[in-house]
Amino acid sequence: MITLITGGSKCGKSSLAEKILDGFFGKKYYIATMRPYGRESLEAIERHRNMRSGKGFETIEKYTGLDEIVIPENSAVLLECMGNLCANEMFGDKIVNPVKKIIDSIRYLDSISETLVIVTNETGADGIEYAPETMAYISHMNEINCITADFAENVIECVYGIPVVRKGALCY
Amino acid sequence: MKFITGGAYSGKRRFAAERFGITAGVADGKECAFNEVLTAKCVNNYHILVRRLIAENKDPIAFTESLCAENPDITVIMDEVGCGIVPVERTERLWREACGRCGCILAGKSDIVIRLICGIGTAIKGEL
Repeated sequence: MITLITGGSKCGKSSLAEKILDGFFGKKYYIATMRPYGRESLEAIERHRNMRSGKGFETIEKYTGLDEIVIPENSAVLLECMGNLCANEMFGDKIVNPVKKIIDSIRYLDSISETLVIVTNETGADGIEYAPETMAYISHMNEINCITADFAENVIECVYGIPVVRKGALCY
Repeated sequence: MKFITGGAYSGKRRFAAERFGITAGVADGKECAFNEVLTAKCVNNYHILVRRLIAENKDPIAFTESLCAENPDITVIMDEVGCGIVPVERTERLWREACGRCGCILAGKSDIVIRLICGIGTAIKGEL
């Protein structure tokens, strides 16, 4: 079962994702897709680690190729976040369209887990026309979000910490 | 009149096609003649049309009002552009403000307003 959580920057998506898995009693895995690069990302990683501490998550740092992940049956997975994963898959040696690869890896993670919570990001609502590769990133992110939302059971938009159910239900 | 909004690439055109059957007769705000909008079944990229109107010293608010009066059955598709930082550059700021005002006029006149996120359309005014 997939729950997709979206929203703007720093709107409480991670807290909500963790809260959803609070009541899960099996093994819980946290897939961290943010590459530790530069002070701000290190600070973000530290903040998220502190948030998760004591909540029973085992962290898997995986920046690309999530279809290589192996976990025990009946586990819960929290994937955070699509924005970093999309950038990591897209901007390597050359710029590639990551949509199919990412959708396939989401379907794979869904197939091997009991429940999958995905944190993504809203991009493309600031009206700014960026450089072509950034516009391509925004386009790919939204395509991934649209496709994932289509087969996800639940889609929740976070608005300043308030969860707004866009599809399915919010189950704690 | 119908108004469909949401961020860039959020599935607005697809929604218009699938739910309202709009596939043909769509004027593209990026390139269409201004008066084409006054008779079109649908206009896409209205936020770009607003930018083009401003660039040609035409008042986008007056234009939007006349659009509502002359083509009250149109479906208008417009990106939500107001989130984010207030642009430093004056022309960008004025454009964004004009989009906000035009969007309010269009939403106000529409019987149904759809807002998309992740391809999911929610009627925020009227009923689907």
